[in-house]
Amino acid sequence: MATKATGGIGRFAQDERRRDSDHVSFLKHKGFRWLWIALGLCLAAIAGYLLIDQEPRPNGGSWYGYTLGTIGFALILWLSLLGVRKRRINPGAWSLKAWTSAHVYLGLSLLVIGTLHTGFQIGWNVHTLAYVLMLLVIFSGIYGVYVYATLPQSLSANRKEMTRKQMLEALTAIDRQLESAAQPLGRAEADMVIAALEQDVFAGGPVARLTGSYPGCATARALRAIGTGSQAATRVTALLEKRSEQLAQIRGQLRIRAMLEIWLFIHIPLTIALLAALTAHVISVFYYW
Amino acid sequence: MAFLIRTIDLTAAGREIVRDRMVDQASLTIGRAAENDIHLPDLAVEQNHVRLVLQSDGTLLAAALGTLGFGLDGRTVTQGVIDPRTGGEIALGTARLAVARESDGNISITIRQIIPDEGKDDALRGFALASVLPSKRAMSWIFAGAIALLLLLVPIGSHLLRTPAKNDPEGKTPGQVLMDAAWSTGDLSLRHHSLEDNCESCHVKAFESVQDETCISCHKDTAAHAAMPRQTKGMPALSVGDALQWNIAQSLGKEGPLGCVSCHSEHEGKVRQQPASEAFCADCHDNLDSRLTDTKLADAHDFGKAHPQFRPVFYASFGATKPVRASLDTRPVERSGLKFPHDVHMNARGGAARMAVSLPRYGKPLECKDCHNLNADKIGFKQVKMEDACESCHSLVSGRTAGGGFSKLRHGNVKHLAEDLARISTGPRATPASSRKRPGQFARGGTYAADFGRPVRAYIGLSNALSEGGICTECHIPTRKAGQADLIPVNLPDRFLVSGFFSHEAHKKEKCTDCHAADTSKQASDLLIPDLKSCRDCHLGATAVKTRKIVPSSCAMCHSYHVPSGQWSPKGPEPHYQPAAPPLVRARVAAIAGTARN
Repeated sequence: MATKATGGIGRFAQDERRRDSDHVSFLKHKGFRWLWIALGLCLAAIAGYLLIDQEPRPNGGSWYGYTLGTIGFALILWLSLLGVRKRRINPGAWSLKAWTSAHVYLGLSLLVIGTLHTGFQIGWNVHTLAYVLMLLVIFSGIYGVYVYATLPQSLSANRKEMTRKQMLEALTAIDRQLESAAQPLGRAEADMVIAALEQDVFAGGPVARLTGSYPGCATARALRAIGTGSQAATRVTALLEKRSEQLAQIRGQLRIRAMLEIWLFIHIPLTIALLAALTAHVISVFYYW
Repeated sequence: MAFLIRTIDLTAAGREIVRDRMVDQASLTIGRAAENDIHLPDLAVEQNHVRLVLQSDGTLLAAALGTLGFGLDGRTVTQGVIDPRTGGEIALGTARLAVARESDGNISITIRQIIPDEGKDDALRGFALASVLPSKRAMSWIFAGAIALLLLLVPIGSHLLRTPAKNDPEGKTPGQVLMDAAWSTGDLSLRHHSLEDNCESCHVKAFESVQDETCISCHKDTAAHAAMPRQTKGMPALSVGDALQWNIAQSLGKEGPLGCVSCHSEHEGKVRQQPASEAFCADCHDNLDSRLTDTKLADAHDFGKAHPQFRPVFYASFGATKPVRASLDTRPVERSGLKFPHDVHMNARGGAARMAVSLPRYGKPLECKDCHNLNADKIGFKQVKMEDACESCHSLVSGRTAGGGFSKLRHGNVKHLAEDLARISTGPRATPASSRKRPGQFARGGTYAADFGRPVRAYIGLSNALSEGGICTECHIPTRKAGQADLIPVNLPDRFLVSGFFSHEAHKKEKCTDCHAADTSKQASDLLIPDLKSCRDCHLGATAVKTRKIVPSSCAMCHSYHVPSGQWSPKGPEPHYQPAAPPLVRARVAAIAGTARN
């Protein structure tokens, strides 16, 4: 944590301030400014909902419902523009950190605004589809913030000061040794080694990556099959163990990366689906007014 | 123990040249300088780069001689241990030195030049999750496209391309618009449930709200609560939010706050519409006179606190063609044209009671239900028929018939009375066909008889019956019409309280005389309709606290919006309104003796 600059107006103090702010998490940006704004928005929305007595029951089509719906729609449009904003490196007062901070907190406030807009009327229709998509996007976003805050540490710990390239090179090094060490082996065992060597290091689908379970791992199979019967087999087994360890590190890396990235594969496509559902929701409501 | 140093080079043709040499010493140096045991002519390698030392436990200690590290099994280190039994690989520049133990116990070091792997950076992409999942962009397009197509384009397209059909009040016509069920915000109410698959029957035009004329195309008989300009004028001002919404909505073609759909909110679930709250009525009817200054309606907002006195419908003068409405506070006098002292008939010790006890039909003093019977609607009563209710005592028997029975005067029409009286003088006749009789039997009461005199007796009889003290005037009031003796027609309305709903069925635990002061009424001119105060013994406004005696009563208990005399029933079978057939003609007149005037 950087220390706070005390006194002095010159370039130094200015730079210190900038450095300070550079190391503040986007969640804590400007003393949780956007958290308070979002909380205020939620409380105002809840208070309004409780104070207005809507007959026969709260409904998205009352004037308050339309107000909440308009706010929600505008928020969703703006939130989805983060993807555009982060690709534009512009000078100006538009800090990407402030934008991200607002994205997170205002996105969370949509849980309240969107839910109140439904009037707690849920059904099998395009309106609830939009609501559910919004919930999924928000929850995937919450997961994203959580893993971004926690997983990079374990990612770094798993690397053990190796780059990804080095991990692959280490595996290649073991493979070269395995190939020569396996020369004395018989046909069946040699085939096992070939299968292990030929299997793509990244083999396995998204589920395997997320769970870290690789039932089809040829290295593990070879390890189980080739015992310590001969000197050559012992050496191959020792090398296969090394390969297995190296694979485990790579797969650990894959698992953490997958957990770190999976939410975006929900968050982004569902955001676009949400925009489509939201369009259908708004148009259908007024088409069949 | 010795090191076997094996160098593998490749010829230009790709053939391997293998050179072996044995170095019998306990340690080796590796570097670019020629004096090293293993000499690697590679600029990336230091002059003296690594020393390998064979340790007592059989392992090899590899240590960098300078500050620059070296690759050991893929990672860069400055020192490391290699177990020759499992092997290891040292990377120096482009050279790879594989360490292994030979079967003779020597340690082999195989040196190979590797071709730099150009594709290595591409391989790093495999670490990203994206390498095993479809791209986010593709998924986005597929999801968004499917939603836009199925939930937007298909319904809109089929709506625009349909052939508009006429509205079907039975709701049996299926809709033509595809996939618009997904647009429905909730089930329709019970009554409209058959229209569930036919959205366009109500949502006729695109971007136009449901119009009153569409509702009325099926609900033709529904009466308006009042004329629309009067309703608009009587309405209190809207709140700022509501006013803004209605301004916007009306500018976009929505019917105003008095349109059908603003109250009959649909898609609220498969339930019956609930009756409006007291506040809904009180919104307008509290202080209505301040906005609608010419209204005849008194303000009302709570039955227990502010409700006008009842104004029953009754005939205020004999033989009137139209009934009037007057407040019970004005002590109205009813001129039904009947004489009927309720007290005489209801007195359990009086003559009427005596008479009833002696008759097998009654066997005990008269009760209300001996004459008054509820209609099927349980609101009003059936017309009291003289023949059924009165004639047991007030007999119209005029003589004996030939068959041994009694002949009687017909009731209800003065013309019939005149005919029957005329017939009395002719007397009963025996059946002529029984057997042949001799002519000597001509006589009054015989088979053949005739009165050849002037019909004076019949006229006297009629005049006697119709004049004061005659049989008719026991109950009727005599009058003269076109110089002839006649009776005042009996005028009684079918229903006294025409702007409210009162179920006698719901009050059947009460005695009639608890509300109707019949047992003390001496004259038929007493209007025996209970007043507001007597209702308030039990019924107070909707906000009253419910007790054993007090029934909180909202407006909807006695009034309904479109049919003032009907009641909205939130429970029970269809229809929602009681009575089933709303009397749109406000006071249908019953002139019981009206036919006598023909």
